[in-house]
Amino acid sequence: MRPPLRPTRSSRTTPNSTSKPVQVIVWGAECLSRQRSAPQTFNGYMNTRFPNRYLPYFLIGPMILVVLLFFIVPSAQSLYLSFFRVNTLGTRSIFVGFNNFVRLVTSRDYLNSMLVSLQFALMVVFSGLSLSLFVAVVANQRLRGFAFYRAMLIWPYALSPAIAGLVWGLMMNPNFGLGALLLRRLVGINFNYLTSSLAAIVFLALAATWKMFGYNIVFFLAGLQGLPTELLEAASLDGAGSWQKFWKVTFPLLSPTTFFLFIMNTLYAFFEIFGLVHITTQGGPGQATNFLVYNLYQDGFISLDTGFASAQSIVLLMIVASLTFLQFRFVGQRVHYL
Amino acid sequence: MKVRRIAFSLLVLLALILSACAQPGQTPTEESQPEEPAATQAPEAQEPSGDGPVEITFWHAMSGSREEVVNGIAERFNQSQSQYRVLPEYTGSYAETLTKALAAYRTGTAPVIVQVYEVGTRTMLDSNAIVPVYTLNQGEVDWADIVQPILKYYSIDGNLYCMPFNSSTAMLYYNKDMFEAAGLDPDQPPTTWAELEEYSLQIMEAGAAPGGFSMGWPAWIMEQMYATHNQLFADQDNGRSGLATEVYLNSDFGVMVLTEWQRMAEEGVLVYGGREYAANDPFLAQQFPFLFQSTSSLGGILNAAEFEVGTAFLPRFEGDFEQGNSVVGGGCLWLMNQASPEQQTGAWEFFKYLNSVDETITWHKETGYFPATNTAYERLKAEGWFDDEPNHATAFDQILSGADTPAANGVLLGDFVQIRDIVGAAIEEAVVNGVDPKQALDEATAQANQVLQDYAELNQ
Amino acid sequence: MKSETAVQLPARTQQNTAAWLRNRVLLPLISHAVMIVVVIFILFPMLYALLLASQTPSEYYNLKLLPGTALFDNIAYAWNRINMGRLLANTTFVAVTVAIGKIVLSVIGAFAFVYFDFRGKNLFFVLILLTHMLPLPVRIVPTYTLMDSLGWINSFQALTIPFLASATGILLFRQLYQTIPPGLADAARIDGASPLQFLLHIVVPLSATNIAALFLIEFIYMWNQYLWPLVIANSDSVRMVQIGLRQLVATDAAVEWHYVMSGVLIAAVPPLLLLLLLQKNLIQGISLYEEK
Repeated sequence: MRPPLRPTRSSRTTPNSTSKPVQVIVWGAECLSRQRSAPQTFNGYMNTRFPNRYLPYFLIGPMILVVLLFFIVPSAQSLYLSFFRVNTLGTRSIFVGFNNFVRLVTSRDYLNSMLVSLQFALMVVFSGLSLSLFVAVVANQRLRGFAFYRAMLIWPYALSPAIAGLVWGLMMNPNFGLGALLLRRLVGINFNYLTSSLAAIVFLALAATWKMFGYNIVFFLAGLQGLPTELLEAASLDGAGSWQKFWKVTFPLLSPTTFFLFIMNTLYAFFEIFGLVHITTQGGPGQATNFLVYNLYQDGFISLDTGFASAQSIVLLMIVASLTFLQFRFVGQRVHYL
Repeated sequence: MKVRRIAFSLLVLLALILSACAQPGQTPTEESQPEEPAATQAPEAQEPSGDGPVEITFWHAMSGSREEVVNGIAERFNQSQSQYRVLPEYTGSYAETLTKALAAYRTGTAPVIVQVYEVGTRTMLDSNAIVPVYTLNQGEVDWADIVQPILKYYSIDGNLYCMPFNSSTAMLYYNKDMFEAAGLDPDQPPTTWAELEEYSLQIMEAGAAPGGFSMGWPAWIMEQMYATHNQLFADQDNGRSGLATEVYLNSDFGVMVLTEWQRMAEEGVLVYGGREYAANDPFLAQQFPFLFQSTSSLGGILNAAEFEVGTAFLPRFEGDFEQGNSVVGGGCLWLMNQASPEQQTGAWEFFKYLNSVDETITWHKETGYFPATNTAYERLKAEGWFDDEPNHATAFDQILSGADTPAANGVLLGDFVQIRDIVGAAIEEAVVNGVDPKQALDEATAQANQVLQDYAELNQ
Repeated sequence: MKSETAVQLPARTQQNTAAWLRNRVLLPLISHAVMIVVVIFILFPMLYALLLASQTPSEYYNLKLLPGTALFDNIAYAWNRINMGRLLANTTFVAVTVAIGKIVLSVIGAFAFVYFDFRGKNLFFVLILLTHMLPLPVRIVPTYTLMDSLGWINSFQALTIPFLASATGILLFRQLYQTIPPGLADAARIDGASPLQFLLHIVVPLSATNIAALFLIEFIYMWNQYLWPLVIANSDSVRMVQIGLRQLVATDAAVEWHYVMSGVLIAAVPPLLLLLLLQKNLIQGISLYEEK
C-alpha cells in the first residue's frame, strides 16, 4: 500500500479495511487546521473527476442551503443586532452603535461571567486532561480485562451534561447526599454548592469532568498505543528512566492528541454545559456560575434584551475563532510524521 | 459484524416505529398560518378548529404537584361543557413562560391564556397584546368579591386587567418541634426580627438546629419588608401613577434591612439558601427553624415535612414604621388579543369557572395559594377548614389585616425581572460575600435605575 | 495491536528478580487497583442515582443506604408526570432524523467535493467549514427569530433542520473518500456507471463503519440537546427528554429526588444502549491508529 503523502498520523488504512471509523474525527480536527484553502490535489495525485456539470450542485445543495439559512445568515444578523437596543416585545429598536459592547466591557457582571467561565474551563481542561492522561498511562500496561475497563469508562459519553449535573447534584446535596456527607465526615468540609460560590463552580467542574473522563482516557490511550516504540526503546538503551522517558519522549509525541483534547474540552466547557448550569445552579449563587452561555440565555431569552445578547454572541464568536486559529497554527505544525 | 449490522438496523427500525407515533401530534397552536406580525392591537384570528369544541390554549408555569392540580381543574371544566376545551401546557418557569408567550405573539401564534407572574404585570400592561378582563365582565362576576389586596394589585384606575388565579404572599414558616426542643412555646412565633433572632439563637444553642432562618426568593422578601413597613420601593407611587424611573433601594430603610441580614449571616443565624425555592430543602431537612417563603409552598411543605409545621406573619423591624401590608405575589391569567372571539368567550367562561367557589376552594386546599374570593373564604371558614388547618389561614389573615396604601399595594416596574435579579445579586453580595450593604445597594440602585430608564425610552 | 511498552522480561538473574517482581507483580497490581478506583469513581454516581430512585423521601432524608422497594412506583409516577412516553418518542424521532439526515447530506456533499470540479467549490467548502466556528450560542437569537417568522416555533422542523449541516461530517467522509483508489472510480466510468451509481454501490458500502460511528455520535448529541429544545418547545407534542427532566426538577417545595432519578434512569437508557451496541465501532477506530 502506497503511503500517503499527507502528513497524517496514520492513514495507512486501505479502502477495503472494515475498521475505519472515528479516528477520522480526530483527524478531522487536524485536517481542519490544515485547510488554508480547499486543495485540489488529494493524496498527492488527482482523484478521478466525474464530468457532470450540475450534479455536484445538487449534491451539496441541501447542506449549503442549511448552512446559509441557519448558520451564516443568523450569525450575520447577530452582528447586525448587536448594534441595536431592542424592547422586550421586539417592536422597537434603537441604533446604539458600539454601546452594547461598551456596556459589556464595563459591566461588572459580564466581566465576572468571563472570569468564572475561564476558571471553570481551566478546571475542566486541566484536571480532566491530567487525570485522564495518568489513567491512560496506567491502563496502557497491557492489563487483562482491558476491554472491560474501557467499556466501564466510556459510557458517560452517552449522558447529557444535564444528567451529569442532576446525578452529581444528588451526590453533593448538602442535606443527605452521600458525597457531601463523606466530605463532611472524612475531611470536615461543608460542601454546599447552592450557597457557596467556590463550591458551586467546583461542583460544576466535577460533574463536567466526570462526564468527559472516559472520552479523554480513550483518546489518550489510542494516542499512546500509536506511539512508535523504536523511539522509546532507543531512549531506554540510552539509559533514560521511566520518568524521563515519559516527559521527554512520550509526552511530546502525544502532543497532537493532547492538543486535540485541549480544544475539544475547551469548546465543551464553554459551549456544551448550558444544560448542566440551568438544571442545577442557574448561574448562582450570586453570579458564581453565570457562565457566558448562561448569561447570554438570561439576557436574550429571559430579560429579552436582544441587542445586548447579540453583542455577547459576537464575543463568543471571537472566542471560538481564536480557538480555531490556535488549532490551525499549532496542530498543523506539531504533527509527528511516522 | 453481521450481528452488529442486525442490531443496528433493529434499533433504527425501533426508532422509526417510535417516531411514527411522534408525528401526528402537533398542538393546535400550530394550526394558524404564520402571518406578518402585527405591531398593533388588531387581533389576528386563529383558525377555530371547525367542528368540535373551541380549543383554548393555556400556558402556565405551575410545576411539580401544582401542575396536576391545574390539569384537574381544566379536566373538570372541559367535562362540564362541550363548547370549549382548555389545554393547559407547562411552558417553563414564570420568566420562560412570559418570554415564550411574547415571542409567540410576535408571529401570531400566541396562546389564548397565559399565566404571568406579578413581576410581569407592567410588561403585559404595556404590551398592547391583551384583552383587559374587565371588558369581558357583563356583571356575572362581582369584582368586590375578590379579595381586595389582590384586586388592587392587578388593577389600574379601579379596572381589573387580568384574572387573579394563584395569588400568594410571603410568610414565616417555622419548625414547632424545634421550638419545643429549645423550651419555647410552639404556638408563640416571633413577631419582630429581634424575637426571631433571639429564638433562633436559643434553638441553636439548644443544639436543635445548626442555623436560624433562611429565605426563599430573597429579593421578594426585601420587597415584602418595604411593603409591610409602608416604605415606597419606587417613585411614581410605586409605579402605579406613571412609569417608575427610580427605585429607593438604597434608602435608609433598605440599608438597615440588609445590614441586619448581613449581621445575622455573620452570626450564623441567617443561612443563605439560594434563590427561589432552594431554601425549602434544608428547611425540610431541619437545618434551621425558620423559613421565609411563599404560601404557594405550603401544600408541598406540609406533605414533605417530618415535623410539625407552624406559620406566622412576617416579622417587623422595630422602629417608627407605619403598618403596611405584605405584597401579593404569584400570578395572574391574561387573555391575549390574538384569540378569536370564540376563544375569548371561552376563556371568559373558563375564568368564571375558576372563580367559582368550588374550584377556588379546591385550588386553595391543594396548593396553598389564597382563595381569591371572599365568598370562598367565608365558606372555608364556615366549614371549619381554617380551624383544622390553621396554617392555611395565616397568609390570608396577614394580607387582610394590612393597610391600603401605594407602598402596601406593591410596586409595578418595567423589566422587573432584571431588577429582581439586580436586587437578588445585591443581597447575595452582602450576605454571602460580605460586601458593605450600602455599597451593594447603591450599585444595585444605579443599575436598576438604568434599566428603568432604558425601559421608559423604549416604551414611551 | 498494542505496542509493546518497555517491559522486558530479562533472564532471572539475582539482580533481575527484583525487576521481575516489580514488572510482573507490583506494576500490574497497582495498575489494576488504579483502574478499579477509576471505574468506581465513574460508576458510583449512577449507582447512587439508582439507589435513590428506589427509595422514598423519608428513606433518603434519613440516609438509608440500602435500596428501597419503590423503584417501579417512582418510575411509573415520573413517567406519567412528564408524559415520558411522548418525550421519548419525540427525542427518538429528532435524534434519528438528524443523524440520518446529517449522514446523508455529508456523504453526498463529501462525494461532490472529492469527485467533481465545479465553480465555487472552494467557497462552498469554506462555508461549510465555517459552521465549525458557529456553535449555537453565536446565532441563537436570530435563529430563534427566524423560527418565529417561519412559524416553526414548537415544531419538529425547528428541532431538526438547523442541525443538518456539519463540518465534521463532510470532513470525515471527504477524508475517507480521498483514500479510495482512483482505479475504482475509473473502472466505474469505463463501465458506463453514473456517478450516483458509483456513489450508491461502491462508495456508500465503503463508508459503512464511518456511518455507524457518526450515527452513534449524532444520535447521542441530539438526544442530549438542552438549550435549543428549551427555547423552541412549548408543549409536550415536541418536547424533548432533557427538558422533561428539568420539569421534574422544577418545583415549589422540595425537590423530589426519587422521581428525578427515576426520570434520569429512563432518559439515559436509549443512548447508553446504543453506545453499548456500537462502542466497538467507536473504540476500534480510535485505537486502530498505528497499523504498521
